Amino acid sequence: MISIKGLHKSFGKVDVLRGIDLLIEEKEVVVIIGPSGSGKSTLLRCMNYLEVPTAGAICVDGIMLNNESNINKVREEVGMVFQRFNLFPHMTVLENIALAPMKVRGASKKEAVQAATELLQKVGLEDKAAAYPEQLSGGQQQRVAIARALAMKPKVMLFDEPTSALDPEMVNEVLDVMKKLAREGMTMVVVTHEMGFAREVGNRLLFVDGGRIVEQGEPSEVFAHPKEERTKLFLSKIL
Amino acid sequence: MDYNFSLVVSAFPLLLMGAVVTIKITAISVTLGIVIGLFAGIARISSFWPVRALAAVYVDFIRGTPLLVQIFIMYFALPVLTGQRIDPFIAAITACSVNSGAYVAEIFRSGIQSIDSGQMEAGRSLGMTWVQTMRYIIVPQAFKRVIPPLGNEFIALLKDSSLVSVIGFEELTRRGQLIIARTYGSLEIWTSVAVIYLVMTLTISRFVAYLERRYKIDDKH
Repeated sequence: MISIKGLHKSFGKVDVLRGIDLLIEEKEVVVIIGPSGSGKSTLLRCMNYLEVPTAGAICVDGIMLNNESNINKVREEVGMVFQRFNLFPHMTVLENIALAPMKVRGASKKEAVQAATELLQKVGLEDKAAAYPEQLSGGQQQRVAIARALAMKPKVMLFDEPTSALDPEMVNEVLDVMKKLAREGMTMVVVTHEMGFAREVGNRLLFVDGGRIVEQGEPSEVFAHPKEERTKLFLSKIL
Repeated sequence: MDYNFSLVVSAFPLLLMGAVVTIKITAISVTLGIVIGLFAGIARISSFWPVRALAAVYVDFIRGTPLLVQIFIMYFALPVLTGQRIDPFIAAITACSVNSGAYVAEIFRSGIQSIDSGQMEAGRSLGMTWVQTMRYIIVPQAFKRVIPPLGNEFIALLKDSSLVSVIGFEELTRRGQLIIARTYGSLEIWTSVAVIYLVMTLTISRFVAYLERRYKIDDKH
């Protein structure tokens, strides 16, 4: 589904990614962990070209990310959920979800509203359709953001620390939606610190440090028997 | 010192007609200025450098030269080039709109740049183009934030429109000059003209304050 070869990314003189090779299969749930500044978010953001790689090739669903029209095409197939939600504050929840299908997919207003309503049911917020983002809690906003990304019927969903900006009591409502998605067979790439989530629904865990994939494997295996020193050190601090 | 009130009273209808012309020229110029300014402001932050450079040259030239000189160029200098006389009304409107557009461009540019970059990322990640994201996400949010500076620009332009009196265009200030030429009532007429400008600018600033309040209540940010 996603294939990455020799990916490098530098910001000015700082090399954030130093050679990433990664193959993500359909229906796989890949969880990326690593210390802050390790490049894990940058890696995720390269997958839909929010960050432009310095070198390397990225191919999503058979489309090379190499020109503007391909990039837009890939973005239609790749949903993204941000740490800070990034809902559109001047639109209602329903409008937030219905906008892109109408403007990008050319859906009629009726279709888009119908689909948005169903998605709101899916994330358990059907009663918030007419609310504005600021009237919702953080957890509710993030669930709307997930529904907004799903409205484009993506083949892959990228999650950039989706629970890091949330109050602790709201983390689970968001994780539950994500778990449901994973069970439905969505291909997911998740940057997170939620180890319980990684263990429960992750097919593969990547530990990223210093711009490289240091170690990867089946999550419970990596947690139980990390091979690399750096992984051991990191896990000992967070588990 | 005698203040001849009867002169004020008799000149008032003529001055009011001039005020109507002033409002007309200001309203048209502000409207055109907002359109020009919106595009120029977006061009200023375009990722395509020739567009950005062109917009920067426009803004720098207009903001770096006096409006009075721009009016002269429009009315006296351009006809030399084209060989065609230009109607004072057209010259006045063009000079004022183009001038206003440059200031409005900077207002929009800063307004757009004040919107969190996550909004553009969210729009783009949904597959919307840069233009679509600007149109549906960024500009509508920026518009609310630029209402107060746009109001100031409106007021500034209303006052600056007095400069088009130099090309014989009969707005409020020019009307005043013409009446004084006939009646010698400098004191009465200039004070009346000033009061009429004041009433107009105060009305606008009240209206802008009202809009600001309304959009604050409306602002779901």
